[in-house]
Amino acid sequence: MKKRGVGMGCMWYGVGNTGLPNPAGAHVDILDDGTVLVLTGCADIGQGSDTALAQIAAEEIGVRYEDVRVVSADTGVTPDAGATSASRQTYISGNAVRSAARAAKQLILETAAEMLGVSQEEIIAGDRLLKVRAASGKSQAFTDCQSECRVGLGLDSGSDTREVSIAEVIAKCRMKGKLTLGHGWYNPDTTGLDAETGQGRPYATYAFATQVAEVEVDEDTGEVTVLRVVAAHDVGRAINPRNVEGQIEGGCAIGMGYALMEEIKLQEGNVLNCNFATYLLPTSLDVPEIYPLIVEDPEKTGPFGAKGVGEPALIPTAAAIANAVYDAVGVRITDLPITPDKILAKLKEKQNKGA
Amino acid sequence: MDKIKIQFVLNGETRQVEVEPDLLLIDLLRERLGLTGTKVGCGEGDCGACTVLLNGKNVNSCLLLAARVNGCEVVTVEGLGSYDKLHPLQEAFIAEGAVQCGFCTPGMLLSAKSLLDVNARPTREEIARHIAGNLCRCTGYTKIINAIEKVACADRHCACSREAEEGR
Amino acid sequence: MSEFKVVGQSVPKADALDKVIGRAKFAADISFPGMLYAKALRSPVAHGILQHIDYSAAAALPGVAAVLTGKDVPGANNFGIIIKDEPVIVKNGEKIRKIGDTLALVAAENEAIAEQALALIKVDIEELTPVLCPIAAMQPDAPKIYDKGNVLAVRKIVKGDTEAGFRDSAVVVQQQYKTQMVEHAYIEPEAGIALFDGDVVTMWVSTQNPHYDAKEVARNLNIGLNKVRVIQAATGGGFGGKLDVSVQVHLAMLAVVTRRPVRMVYSRTESIKNSVKRHPYTITMKTGADANGRLTAFECTIIGDTGAYASYGPGTLTRSAVHATGPYEIPNVKITAYTVYTNNPQAGAMRGFGVPQVAFAHEAQMDMLAEKVGISPLEIRLLNALRPGSLTATGQYLEQSVGIVSTLEAAAAKVREIKLERRGGRL
Repeated sequence: MKKRGVGMGCMWYGVGNTGLPNPAGAHVDILDDGTVLVLTGCADIGQGSDTALAQIAAEEIGVRYEDVRVVSADTGVTPDAGATSASRQTYISGNAVRSAARAAKQLILETAAEMLGVSQEEIIAGDRLLKVRAASGKSQAFTDCQSECRVGLGLDSGSDTREVSIAEVIAKCRMKGKLTLGHGWYNPDTTGLDAETGQGRPYATYAFATQVAEVEVDEDTGEVTVLRVVAAHDVGRAINPRNVEGQIEGGCAIGMGYALMEEIKLQEGNVLNCNFATYLLPTSLDVPEIYPLIVEDPEKTGPFGAKGVGEPALIPTAAAIANAVYDAVGVRITDLPITPDKILAKLKEKQNKGA
Repeated sequence: MDKIKIQFVLNGETRQVEVEPDLLLIDLLRERLGLTGTKVGCGEGDCGACTVLLNGKNVNSCLLLAARVNGCEVVTVEGLGSYDKLHPLQEAFIAEGAVQCGFCTPGMLLSAKSLLDVNARPTREEIARHIAGNLCRCTGYTKIINAIEKVACADRHCACSREAEEGR
Repeated sequence: MSEFKVVGQSVPKADALDKVIGRAKFAADISFPGMLYAKALRSPVAHGILQHIDYSAAAALPGVAAVLTGKDVPGANNFGIIIKDEPVIVKNGEKIRKIGDTLALVAAENEAIAEQALALIKVDIEELTPVLCPIAAMQPDAPKIYDKGNVLAVRKIVKGDTEAGFRDSAVVVQQQYKTQMVEHAYIEPEAGIALFDGDVVTMWVSTQNPHYDAKEVARNLNIGLNKVRVIQAATGGGFGGKLDVSVQVHLAMLAVVTRRPVRMVYSRTESIKNSVKRHPYTITMKTGADANGRLTAFECTIIGDTGAYASYGPGTLTRSAVHATGPYEIPNVKITAYTVYTNNPQAGAMRGFGVPQVAFAHEAQMDMLAEKVGISPLEIRLLNALRPGSLTATGQYLEQSVGIVSTLEAAAAKVREIKLERRGGRL
C-alpha cells in the first residue's frame, strides 16, 4: 500500500569560512560613456555571481544592469576574491564590489555636486542620472553654478536644472583630468574559535531555512517518491529573485538525491560506481514539485542586506524527507540514503515487534 | 585504416568529410569541425550533454560513429540560432532562468526541440519524460521545464493560454 | 515598490546568452595549434610505497613529448587548501595513500598515444595494509597513514554544563546516525589547457578557486606567483568539487617542459574516481528537553572520514560542529568532531560543507522530542528557534537578521495553502 507523509527540516548556515579571515577584493572603473567595468576574482560557476555582482555595482553607482560588465576570475587581471565556496560570494565579494563602486562613485559625486550646486548628500543616483533629492531647496548658488556647468558642457543652460546624467558628469571629470576608478575589499567580522571550548564568533552572519517535504512510500516495495517540497529561505535580500529560486530548486534536487539515491560504493578504497549508469543522479522524472519561498530579513552588514543561499538550498532537504518517511510509515531510517531495502527491513522489524 | 568519405547536411549546410571508421560523431563535430557547443559529459550515453539532432531526432553523439550520419541531416546548438536570431527555446531558456552552469544547455535545447517538433503541445509530464536522458545538476529541472512549456504555449498561437485552459 | 532599482530585479543572467548559443568556452572547448594531450598514470593501490618506476618504453614511444615522474617536480611537490599533504606526483620511495595517486604524467600528440604510453610504464609498489574505516583508523594499533597518526583534527565546542542540563530534562533522545559518501557530479568533468609563453604560465581551467590554483602552481613549479596566470574558463558546475587542484599543476609542469600548449580533460570515470567527495559521517546525538519541549542539553560526537588527504576536511568538520545544534538555542552543549584519515578517496568541500549531515541528525532529534513531549514539529521548532538576542553554541550573540522563525512561518503558511497534510497530526 502507498502511504503519504509530510516532514519538516530546518537549517542555519554561517556565510563565509569558519572563524578565519576570508577577504575579497574588487576594482571598479566607470568608463567615459558612463558604462562600468567590474574586476573581481570571484569565479562564477553557473550560480550567477557575475550577474549578482553586476546588479550590486549598478545599484550602487546608479546605472542600469546592462551598463555593467563583470570581468571575473583571471589572476592576471582581477584581484583575489577568495574561493567560490561557503556561500560567501554574494555577501563578501558583493560587499567588496559595493565598496569599490562606492569609491568610484564618490569621485562622480564630488563633480556632480559642483555641477548641481548642492552638497553630495543631497544627490541621489539611479537610472544613469544624478538627481537632487526632492526635499532639498534650490539655492541661488545652485542655479548659478548649474547654468555655468551646463554651458561649459555645451548644453542649453535653461533646461532641467535638477539632474545631470552620469555620462555628463564623467565628461566633466575627464575635462578636469579625473579618472573614476575605485577599489575595495571586504573581510567578514569573525574571530577564531577557542581550541578547548570552541567559543567565538565563527561567522559574521547566518542564512536560515525551513523545508517541508511530502513523500509517498510504497510499503510493498519500500520505494519513496518525493511529491512536493516547500522551501523557505531567509537570504537577507534577494539580489536576483529568479536566480535565488534557481539555487533553491537545484539545491532541493541534490538534497533529494542525497536523501534517497546517491551513494559512492567503495571496495578496498576503490570507487565501484564510477559512471552515471551506476551512480544515479536525479533526473527530470525524479524531481518533485518545488515551491521556493524567498524570505528577506535584511542583514545590516550585507550588500543591500544580502546574505547567501547556495549551500542552504540543499541542507534541510534530506532531513525533511527522512521526517516525512517516518510520518508516512512510522519507521525512522537513521542512515542515508533511504533506500527501499532499509525501509522494508525496518517495516518488517516493526511488524515483528507488533506481532 | 582506410578513411570513409561521407556527405551530410550540418546545420543546413552540405558537408563532405573523410572520417576514420571508428571516429565518433562527437569528435568529428568538436575536434575536426570546431563545433564545440556540443559537450562531452560522460562519453557513455548516460548524461545527454552531447545531444544533437539526427534527422530531427535527439541522439547522443558520443555513441554514434561519424560514418553513420552519411546522407543524414545533423543539427547542433550552433545551428539552432545565432546572436542575431535566437531560437524561441534559446530565448525562453534565458528569460526563464533555465541556464545555470550551461554545460547541459546545448543538449537540453536540442532534446526540447525534438519534442516540440513532433508534439507542439506537450504536458509538463511529457516534457519531463522527454528530457529524462539529459542530466542537469544545477537547476532541479524546474526552470528548464518552464522554459520549454513557455515555447510550447507560444507556439500553439494560444488563444489557449494555460490559465484559460485550467479555468475551463 | 522596492527601494532599489536594480537589486531585487530578476535580470537575465550575464552568461546565459553565450551558453544557449553554444559559444561559451569551457576548458575542453579551447585548443591551440600544436597542442599536446596529457594523461596521468594513477595508483591502483590504496596504501603502499612506490619502489620503482620505469618509463623508458613510454618515453621512447613515437608521439610522446614528455613523461614526468616525482623527481621532475621543481618545487614543493605538495598541495592542499588547509594542509599541504597531497603530492603532485608520488616520488620513488614515498607513500601512496589512495587509489588514484598520480605516479607519472604523459604528454603526447594525441590521446590515444598518451593512453598507450601509460600502459608502457612499469611500476613496482610495496603494498601496505589499507585503513578503510575511520573508527578503526582511530584505534591506537591501526596502521599509520601518516607518521603523526590518523586523527587529523579534533574540534571541541563546550557551552554550559550538559550533565546538569540532562539531569534537568524531562525527555531525552539519543541516536546514532550515518551518512554516506557522495559525488558532486558536475556535468562538466575537470579540464584545463596551459601555455608557457615567454616566462609566464597561462592556463584556462574549470575551477572555483583560480587564485588558490595559481598559488599551488607557483609553489610547485618554484616560480613567482606573478608568472602564473590562471583564467577560469566557463565552468560546468562545481558544488565544492572544483575547489581543489586537479589538472592545474600537472598541466603547468608539462607546458613548461614541452614549451607547447597542453590540454588535459578527465573522463567521467577519472573524475568520479579522483575528485573529492562529501564526507561520510558517523554522528551520535543526545538531546534533552523539558516537559514543554524547550531544549535543555545537547551532546554530539561526529567522526568524519576525510580519506587520504586533508583537502577541506578539518574545515568541514569544524563547520559541522558549529552547526550541530541546528538553528536552535540550547543552554548546555558539548560537541566533539574528529577529522580522520583513511585510505579512501579524499572527502572535501561539497555544497553544504558538513551541515547536511548534521541537519539530517538534529532534525530527526527534534521530531522525536516533539513526539515524546506531545507537541507538533512546527511547535517545537518555533519554541526553540534562534532569535535576535540568542546565544549560539559558540557563544555568539545574534543581533539581527535571524530569519529562522520567518522561514518557519512562511513554510507553514504555504503548507496550509497547498494542503500538505501530516499523517501523524498537525504540522
